[in-house]
Amino acid sequence: MSALSIAKKDFRDAIQSRALWALVVTFALLSMITTYGYAEAPELFGSQQEATFGGLVFFTLGFTALFVPLAAIIVGYKAIAGERELGSIKLLLSQPTTRRDVFVGKVLGRAGVLATGLAIGLVVGLIFGAVIIGGLNLYALLAFVALTLLFVAVYSAVMVSISATTGSTTRATTLAIGFFVLFELIWDVVPLAIVYVVQGFKFTTDYPDWAYIVTNVSPGTAYSTGLFALLPDVADSLEGNSGEVSETDAFYQTPELGLVMLVLWVVVPLLIGYYQFNSADL
Amino acid sequence: MAAIECSGLTKRFGDVLAVDDLDLTVEEGEIYGFLGPNGAGKSTTIDILLDFVRPTAGEVTVLGHDAQDDGELVRQKIGVLPDAYHVYDRLTGRQHVEFACEMKGSNQDPIELLERTGVAEAADRKAGGFSKGMRQRLVLAMALVGEPELLILDEPSTGLDPNGAREMREIITAENERGATVFFSSHIMEQVEAVCDRVGIINQGSLVAENSIDGLRNATETGETLYVTLDRVDDAVRQEIATLDGVADVAIEDGRIRLAVGERSKFRVLESIDDGVAPIQDFEVVESSLEDLFVRYTTEAQEVNA
Repeated sequence: MSALSIAKKDFRDAIQSRALWALVVTFALLSMITTYGYAEAPELFGSQQEATFGGLVFFTLGFTALFVPLAAIIVGYKAIAGERELGSIKLLLSQPTTRRDVFVGKVLGRAGVLATGLAIGLVVGLIFGAVIIGGLNLYALLAFVALTLLFVAVYSAVMVSISATTGSTTRATTLAIGFFVLFELIWDVVPLAIVYVVQGFKFTTDYPDWAYIVTNVSPGTAYSTGLFALLPDVADSLEGNSGEVSETDAFYQTPELGLVMLVLWVVVPLLIGYYQFNSADL
Repeated sequence: MAAIECSGLTKRFGDVLAVDDLDLTVEEGEIYGFLGPNGAGKSTTIDILLDFVRPTAGEVTVLGHDAQDDGELVRQKIGVLPDAYHVYDRLTGRQHVEFACEMKGSNQDPIELLERTGVAEAADRKAGGFSKGMRQRLVLAMALVGEPELLILDEPSTGLDPNGAREMREIITAENERGATVFFSSHIMEQVEAVCDRVGIINQGSLVAENSIDGLRNATETGETLYVTLDRVDDAVRQEIATLDGVADVAIEDGRIRLAVGERSKFRVLESIDDGVAPIQDFEVVESSLEDLFVRYTTEAQEVNA
């Protein structure tokens, strides 16, 4: 399997991105400053209770939900489009390998870079937080790390797949930023708009159950919903968060939907990206 | 089994017909020069051999394997110096060759290969700082990994100084003596002349000539140019010679008569001059340049097509 060799080489190359490390340092500093703020004065951050490690995890998710997509854009948008534009893909594909292995190797390599950068930022932030709060919830930590790795996988898959659809880095940048803006920044209004249209162009406060699914199409929202699924007790203890899941009865209206969405966001982009890359003239 | 076999190969990019029903056979063990002007379809053909580009129609086999279906197997057995490639700026020379060794499952020493191509002293520098010639040497070292059965070199002398081009030819010859078939493209005839067993000239996507260098030369009627030194050289002599059979393009150049010999033997022409015009003191035969042949093949084909 040459995908692993390609992943290793790609990791060596992409880990040297200065933009990535600038983002990691920014992330670590910001998370330390705000962790300090949260630990000292949780009421400023909307929590009525004393700061806990579990609370810190939910709090940190707000950061990672933003950091992972941004870092993934930086690390991933050129993964394949850049090599095609420059011509270095010819060196890669002159070796005994297949486009499938190159594609898989790229996804693994870039996910590895992203996870490494994120781990450094997170370890700094969360250890700092654990010291200040004076306690560590091991289960919450593991659940958060595992879920965040899944989120990293989502964004690595999405960005490398976007990069695999084109030989132009300009186009790859546009698509990558477009994806971020659509699914992370303005997605909240999409279910509103759909309901508005479905209700015959009238505003309503009575949301149908399926609007919950539409909301969770956003990977960032699905990531956050997924944490509720993994840490229900912590979520319940946090005021303002417990009302997230309303009292409806549709089978899909559970926090587990977030996990399903994340898995779909890994699989579907990979299939599209591979299909496009495999049929292209380089 | 042929090293490379293309039959009816056609590639269309939108409106542009890059390769037009190309038939090409490269035999095992030979050095084959693939010549053509820029844009003739050389790189597209090579890109299809390497499966960077998918053909619109036709069959391509490399070392007996289908280039599209068995690409991984093909590339395990060949070494490639692609055209318009780019090195990984942030990886060192040694890391590049190590990567090629790892991909091919070869345990060769990267430094030895880099020594062979003359860039070992830069092995631990990042390739982003390499000159064009050093990059070419680096990628050639990658191509030599695993003693390939077939070397496919797209414009190998690009960016090399005359010394580098000579070293490239020496490596090509040495690899051929080891048993490798070499297929390389060029738009410069002279580079091909020195090493190739056979030459194919491609123009507008089709093979317009294929032969040994001598064969190509004989097949064209350009013939040879004679420089003759006589007792006296003036315009009267020039006009007299111009009336002789089988002589064309007579001119005075540096105190000598220059003439092109067409359908007649050059010895008969010399005899005629010596007997009938003026005694010959000295003469020189210059073969028509390969550049002339090349221009002739590619422009005539264009005229036919137009």
